[in-house]
Parts: sequence; structure tokens; C-alpha cells
Amino acid sequence: MAIRLVGYSFSGPVLRVIICLKELGLPYELEPPASYQSLKDEDYIANKHPFGKMPVLFDGDFRITESRPICRYLVSKYQGKHNDTILIPNDVHKAGLVDQFISYELSYYDPPLSKLLYQEKIAKRFLNKDPDPEVIKQAREELAKVLDVYEKLLEGKEYLNGEYSLADIAPCPSTYYVYGTVTHSDLWDNRPNVKNWWNRLCNRDAIKKSLEEAKSFLENYENV
Amino acid sequence: MTIKVIGFARSTNTLRVISCLNELGIPYQLEPPADFAAIKKDDYLAKKHPFGKIPVLYDGDYKISESRAICRYLVSKYQGKYNNTILIPHDVHEAGLVDQFIFYESFYYEPVVAKIIIHEIVLKTPESEIAKRALKDLDKVLGVYDKLLEGKEYLNGEFSLADLFHYPCAHFIYSSHADLWDKRPNVKKWLNRLRNRDAWKASLEKKNKL
Repeated sequence: MAIRLVGYSFSGPVLRVIICLKELGLPYELEPPASYQSLKDEDYIANKHPFGKMPVLFDGDFRITESRPICRYLVSKYQGKHNDTILIPNDVHKAGLVDQFISYELSYYDPPLSKLLYQEKIAKRFLNKDPDPEVIKQAREELAKVLDVYEKLLEGKEYLNGEYSLADIAPCPSTYYVYGTVTHSDLWDNRPNVKNWWNRLCNRDAIKKSLEEAKSFLENYENV
Repeated sequence: MTIKVIGFARSTNTLRVISCLNELGIPYQLEPPADFAAIKKDDYLAKKHPFGKIPVLYDGDYKISESRAICRYLVSKYQGKYNNTILIPHDVHEAGLVDQFIFYESFYYEPVVAKIIIHEIVLKTPESEIAKRALKDLDKVLGVYDKLLEGKEYLNGEFSLADLFHYPCAHFIYSSHADLWDKRPNVKKWLNRLRNRDAWKASLEKKNKL
């Protein structure tokens, strides 16, 4: 029975899981919901996600929510089964550091990035609100400080924990959207380690394919 | 060599790690920094936490930061070594669900409780719009939790790391908002179970001593 992933492929958290599935060589079926509204239906809340969010993954009868736990579950169960890709190292100390970097992404990298994402991509297109220049300015300043830290973290390394891992996948979706707005790509491009890291990520097959899939879905997507 | 935790016993993030160490029966030393300013200094940023945060844990030469990552590491390495307490089940599906509940805590529960703590206890502005809105949000979140706990003693049935993570910040605002938790029968019983755990009581003693 194939893995089922409920969500829109262009949604950041869903994209995170799609990258992970592709990296591990796992076949899956994507089930886009009828609309964003449908996530708040009683049926969705009762049977899919109690907080009305996506993605939700079904592996046979097993249901799990939240992109990072979903990825970790997929790694625990399937890493090494379909190919040799290692997303979480077996060594407990190295795995701990991958976890730490995932937490950095969640706690420090994602908040200003999400603010920029909201202003540049979501406000106008989905909510008919104009971007707020003051929020954009503050978010840029905050993200610049975070990327200064990432620049040091990546010194002498190709990936956050040395080898490629789940910690590098986690920031991909939002980075892709904000970097792609051109007005903010300088934040990454002005920092050589960060720039090279992002380029490396964009050139990985699984990430490239996932981003292309998301892009084409978003371009054709009319009804939210 | 004993495990060393850099942090303040009264900080919710540090309390999370202390509770985990206590639950697993792992001996440790707590080293509070001089003050909150000390964790923003260049030396701390360079050697301990690049974002100037606590806690940071040293296990011999190994250093790891971020409370939930630290706890997961402690479980991976030490679960079952000092006692029989299971914080993350071995079964991959059960472990996945514990992880899911840990994320519910960090996305939906903690940010809301943290706002209330900051406005009521740190800034002392309990009447602020942010605090009021956070209380309404917490009410909704606890409504979801009451359903999640239906027919269960703990979020994933058995006590796990996910339940442990919820208690430290609840502790700080429970007494001023007991009604929010207590009006929901499943949440009320769950919280009571958590506050009565020996490991939590030991963590509280640490907090009150320092």
C-alpha cells in the first residue's frame, strides 16, 4: 500500500515531506485537499489533523502529522531500505546535532523567513493585503543576523552537520520561496558559505524535482 | 564525567532538560550563567550557543543545545541505563506519534503559553492585548487537548517525552489561570498527573533552591 500524503505540494511543510520522500526513494500518492477551507471542516479535524493543518501522512493505517515528525518517522522506518541516502546518522552524537540544527531552523531561521514569505507571497495573492514595508524591513534585519550565524556554522563545511542531513532539508521550502523573490536573494548571495550551501541544495536531484513539482502546481493552482 | 547543563533552573527550557535528566535518573550538574546578559557576550556565542540561548548540555566533550534536541539525545543514549523509564517508545510508529505530540507542544501550545508568561510575569502587563488574545488562543488549544486526551492518561497513552515537555511552562501560569485547565476534565487530570511525578517535584526543588 503506497504512502498517502494529504496536502498541497507548494505548501512549505508539505514540500519538506515531499523532499524527504524523494530522498529516501519512497513512492507516494499526493492527495490535495478540496480547498484550504476544507481543513477546518469537522471531518478533517476529527480524522486528519486536530489543529486543521497539513500535511498528514498515512502509511497503511498509521496516521502521523507535522512535517518534521513525519520526516523523522520516514527516516526511522525506511532509511537504507530503498537507497543509501542517510538523512539522520546512526551515531547518537551526530544524530543529536542534526536534531539541534533542525531546532535552530525552527526557532531562529524560520520566524523571520516566514514573515517575509507572508508579506511577499501570501498577503497579496491569498489575502488581498498589501505587503507592509516596515515588517519586511524588520524581518530582513532579523534574517540577516541569523544568516550571519549560519555563515559561521557552515565555515569549512558543505552542510550544517558536515554531511547532508534532514537539517539541510528543513529550511529548503521557505528559502526557495523567499530567495526566489529576487529582492531578497542578496541575503543569501552576500554570504559565500550560505550561498554555496544553498546552491548545493538546489542542485540535489530530490530537491530540484520537488521544487519543480511545487512550482508547476502553484502556477496552475487557481482555487484556494 | 558528569553531564553539565548550562542554564537557569527557573527557565522553562532548562526545566524541560532537568525534568528529562531526573526522569531518566541521570546525574548532572547545573551551571547557571552569571546572568542573562552573559549569554549574549561574544565568548558565550562563540563557545556555547551561537544564538545566545540556554540550555546547553555537555556530555564529556560533546556539546548540544536546544532543549528538545538535548532531551531526545539523552533518551537515545541513556534511556534504560539508569532506570526503566521510557520517554520515547522503541516502536517506530509509537515514537513517531510521541514526536508528533512534541511538535504540537512546540507549535500550538508553547508559543501561546510563552506570551502569557512574558506579559504577565516578565513585563507585568497582564492586561495587554497580546496577553488577552493569548489566553483566548490557549483556551482553544486546551479544547483540542481535551479531545486528544479522551480515554487516555497521557497524550500517547503511556507517559512520554511529549507530556514532560508540556508541564514546565504550565507551572508558571497555572495558579493565575487554573480555570482554563480545570474546566476540561481530561486536561485537569493529565496536568495533575504531571505535577505529581517525582522527577518534576525534584526539578521544582532545584528551581526553588537556586
